[in-house]
Amino acid sequence: MEERSAMVGTSFPSYSFMVEKGKIREFAAAIGDMKDIYLDPEKAVGEGYPGVIAPPTFGTVIDLWGGPGFMKLCENLRLNPVKVLHGEQEYQYLESITAGDEITATTTITNFTEKKNMYLITMETVYVNQRKEEVQKCRQVVVELK
Amino acid sequence: MTDFEKINIGDQMPSLTKEPISEIQLAKYAGASGDFNPLHYMDAFGKAAGQGGIIAHGMLIMGIMGQAVTDWIPNRNLKRFNVRFASVTRPGDTITVSGKVTGKSFESRGLITCDIAAVDQNGQVKASGSFEAWF
Repeated sequence: MEERSAMVGTSFPSYSFMVEKGKIREFAAAIGDMKDIYLDPEKAVGEGYPGVIAPPTFGTVIDLWGGPGFMKLCENLRLNPVKVLHGEQEYQYLESITAGDEITATTTITNFTEKKNMYLITMETVYVNQRKEEVQKCRQVVVELK
Repeated sequence: MTDFEKINIGDQMPSLTKEPISEIQLAKYAGASGDFNPLHYMDAFGKAAGQGGIIAHGMLIMGIMGQAVTDWIPNRNLKRFNVRFASVTRPGDTITVSGKVTGKSFESRGLITCDIAAVDQNGQVKASGSFEAWF
């Protein structure tokens, strides 16, 4: 517990992820959200985007394929994977993420709270593109049941 | 897209009802998202975790909620989107997303705030939250 509280304010090493057109398509298909702007570069350009864009929750792909992954995250945060649930997720959108972008993400642990039946760990991630523009920010709360 | 002038507090966002969540969809979402937590595809792990079996990725439900939002609001207009996961989704559950306008303001641009929720076929809330969109 004290060891975990001491982690508040700690940032993990940044990770980078190349956003490929095919990965956007695969992610959109898994959700079942087949909008043209996720699939067809010409139509996306016609809508005023530089190319096919990432759906609103694509940040999770950047985290999990570009970053440490679930098991490593549990190890880093000293969590028991069998007891871990996702509590909350919030995105702030600043710029579109477009196929071809190389996104660098940095995650910081911002809060750690103990409740009666669970621990709550809050993390914030900032996503920056290859032009050093902040494209989005994410705040997530992970729950570990006692 | 709806005109800012025509949106009023209390208006409903068009609802979205999906095909039932399937185990194949969870496998596809695991691969697409990179979330390989075995809770989402290994029945024995789900049981060991006290969930009674496989449960869907929370982020898949948020992704479906994002689909409903961007069916209504162009992606570039989305400013903020948050959800709190309330209960687990299992294969076979049918998710319906609905939302309601709760705020409307204008400074240099129009801005609306909406509540949003995903419920199953029994009306159980899976996730709820809010989003803000520019106009």
